Amino acid sequence: MTERTRGLKDILWALALAGLVAGVLRMWLGLGATTNLTDHVPWGLWKILNMVAGVAISTSGFTVGFLVYVLRLERFRPLMKPAILVAFLGYGCSCAALLFDIGLPWRFWHPFFMWNEHSFLFEVFWCVILYFTVTAIELAPTLMEKARAEKAAAFLHRIAFGVVVVGISLSSLHHSSLGSLFLVTPQRLQTLWYTPFLPLLFILSAMGAGLMFLILVRILHSHWYDREAVFGPTQVERELLLVRTSERNGGGHRVPTSGPDAPVLRALASIATAILGVYVLVQIYALGSGGGWEALLAGTWESWLYGTEILGGVVLPILLVWLPATRRSPTALGLAAFAASAGLGLNRMNVGIFGYFRDAGEVYFPSLAEWALSVGVVAAAALVFLYFAETMAIFRLSRASAKLERPFGPSFDSLSRVWYRVLRGGLERATVIGVFIIPLAWALMYPPYHQKTPPEVTPAAGMDVTRATLRVDGNRGGVWSEFPHVEHQDRLGGEGSCVTCHHMSLPGDETTPCSRCHRHLVDPTLIFDHDLHVASVADEEELGGVFPGNHACVECHTAGQARNAESAKPCLECHREDTRWAEEYDDSDDLSRAVSYLEAMHGNCVACHEEEARTLDRPELPDCSTCHSSLTPRAVMPWSLAAGW
Amino acid sequence: MKAILVDVTKCTGCERCVAACIEENGTDPVKAQVDRAVTKDGLSENRFLSVPMVTEGRFVRLSCMHCLEPACVSACLVGGLTKTPDGPVIYDPDRCIGCRYCMLACPFHIPRYEWGEANPFVRKCALCHERLAEGGVPACVEACPHEALRFGDRGALLRDAHAIIAAGRGRYLDRVWGEHEFGGTSVLYLSDVDLGVMGWPAPDAASIPSLTEPLIAKTPVIGLSVMGSLLGINWVIRRRMRLAGERGLETEAGRLDEATDAGRSGVGLAPAEGSRSERRAS
Repeated sequence: MTERTRGLKDILWALALAGLVAGVLRMWLGLGATTNLTDHVPWGLWKILNMVAGVAISTSGFTVGFLVYVLRLERFRPLMKPAILVAFLGYGCSCAALLFDIGLPWRFWHPFFMWNEHSFLFEVFWCVILYFTVTAIELAPTLMEKARAEKAAAFLHRIAFGVVVVGISLSSLHHSSLGSLFLVTPQRLQTLWYTPFLPLLFILSAMGAGLMFLILVRILHSHWYDREAVFGPTQVERELLLVRTSERNGGGHRVPTSGPDAPVLRALASIATAILGVYVLVQIYALGSGGGWEALLAGTWESWLYGTEILGGVVLPILLVWLPATRRSPTALGLAAFAASAGLGLNRMNVGIFGYFRDAGEVYFPSLAEWALSVGVVAAAALVFLYFAETMAIFRLSRASAKLERPFGPSFDSLSRVWYRVLRGGLERATVIGVFIIPLAWALMYPPYHQKTPPEVTPAAGMDVTRATLRVDGNRGGVWSEFPHVEHQDRLGGEGSCVTCHHMSLPGDETTPCSRCHRHLVDPTLIFDHDLHVASVADEEELGGVFPGNHACVECHTAGQARNAESAKPCLECHREDTRWAEEYDDSDDLSRAVSYLEAMHGNCVACHEEEARTLDRPELPDCSTCHSSLTPRAVMPWSLAAGW
Repeated sequence: MKAILVDVTKCTGCERCVAACIEENGTDPVKAQVDRAVTKDGLSENRFLSVPMVTEGRFVRLSCMHCLEPACVSACLVGGLTKTPDGPVIYDPDRCIGCRYCMLACPFHIPRYEWGEANPFVRKCALCHERLAEGGVPACVEACPHEALRFGDRGALLRDAHAIIAAGRGRYLDRVWGEHEFGGTSVLYLSDVDLGVMGWPAPDAASIPSLTEPLIAKTPVIGLSVMGSLLGINWVIRRRMRLAGERGLETEAGRLDEATDAGRSGVGLAPAEGSRSERRAS
């Protein structure tokens, strides 16, 4: 039934290719250019959604293994192969996304040789790598059966129990350790999600939701390939059946509303929701013991997220599976499975990303490239899954569908030496893919590059900054300094260097004071030679005595007060003739007067406000409080608050 | 164990320490100047030290606290960060793989990442450990013109700090920040304003490795006990299945199997046996 999945596969191919473009861009341009991660939100979509959630959703490999191999519940054996495949692909996805996420991907092998056994991430790394190997070994017989390597397959079947036991042990370690990763952030993670029970919560939710995800995969597979197996006969067939059975039995006979595989899935869903029920209880206990109730009832966006995660992702699936009204419906089961899987994803995003926003003081939204890679990796895994499902009998197919099964992709006919299905609908498919891939690739090429780049500074209006020298009155004291603007600009790096001093041109912004760079000018021990002043004051005032300098103090410092900088006269009182005051300049020289930001803004705004106040009859317009909030006197516009100035 | 004692009341925010830090670490001063304007706290990959103003007229030196039990050292999976016996927490760029767990783990938000590089590393203050090895003092301490920074043995500095608080008669708050928080830090603060805004926790905040390391020490025990209990459970179930088989339950199991899995291929033949005997046993 490949025809039914053609549209799906085209979309998956487009998404996977977009992910490939994003991956290439990430390797080419670096993390900063392609992601929205910052120093305060260092872990984003790739780590949390692909690794932490991706690994957690793939638990079915070990839980079904536990049911089948350890508890010997043979009715679940048909789900063993898909469970292993889901686990293998889930872990593969995580490892692939992680390779793009870490800053130095070519050093991924370092943890093999450089150990820090105190780190939970170290434990997670080892367990994930080892378990990935285990899933590969568990998956191998399927491939070998396909390749007709019976001996090797038989050997692997013999050691299967041992492999499964090792896999379960590894899983029980790293699924809890993924929760322990966040135990290191008691200060940073929101109280709603930070609890010492994180390891237990993580493994419980992973086990429950992982089984539900397997159910979802089975139901989706059935929807596309083998409808009858789970959903039962179609409406028409059901009516025919009803007619036949009622003819035979004289009516009152029940016609199946679900397929032969549905009871197994329902049994599995019962186990999964039981685990999720325990998870909710632990979650409630953890909330109570950690003082999270107040945080939950505070009505913040965190409490809404938490509520969504618990009600939608855990309670809803439990109800859908256990309520008599929905218990027998495969559609409701699929919905429950989807809700549980999405709930797990939301939980991991909450713990790993959203829970940190308040402490970080900033909000992280993944960039387009992050979304593309994250989704693309999953799409690629889904394609691999479909390939396996179509070629290797991962699921037992009902007889009607088995006949229709066709291999996936082009095939070579050795008799006629012809490739089949190479160009089937090629143009059509290329169009579909192009519709997705071209805009996505184009958008990815021009991402909103890293926010840390300061916005461009608007060139000064009404002033020719190319002139050699400006007159600057930095503290608006009426004393002007001559400031060689061009020389400064050249020294600091030319055209792009404006932000070094002028920052962001936002309201409330201040330029860098001269003293920031010319430190030695304001340092009292360097610019102000106290001894020289003592000697020259004594000399000029013709003070007597053996040490005339000893009588010079009160010439500058107020008598009776501590002799420090505060009690001294302003320099200008004596050095009046050494400085030039504003009115002494005539505009005939070649110097421009640089007004301060405050003067520029007031000059630009206030005059117009006064005029408009008269014409519009709105006398409040020229008031200071029209623009300046009383709470934050410097803030003029709301965005100045947002910018943190 | 060396430490820095910061007297917040003496700092004027002149940032000569920052200039000295930039010179010592060889980062780009122009980029550092831009980062000062565009970052929240003034720290960046070009600027390992900043002196933000926390309230009017109070400037607080902000940089790596060189914790006695550092979260980053415990978190790094390749052991790229180490706490030296001398005091500094130092970073080994040759080990780093760029996972950024240290950045997540640090309770003070200190490590910075070279996001703009294709070959990025973590950057942070290393307490001038090379200068310390030669018997010197950190560049920032040397540069401070106001004696707001003092460098010395941590124990001696703590004694001095308490003496200064006592001699100040109410000039300082009666607390040395960094004495106990997170198990203690190698940067200590004396202040007359509360430093909670800088992210300092209550004095009794436990060290972060103490939250995780006892747990991770149990890992092999947990792994082995899970493995042991799996084998145990399986042994019990196999035994019960064998006993059930001896009692001739195969026929019954076969009949039940037929009833449930009617019309399907042989895969489900062995099956029901297990589940049913399990149910019966329980």
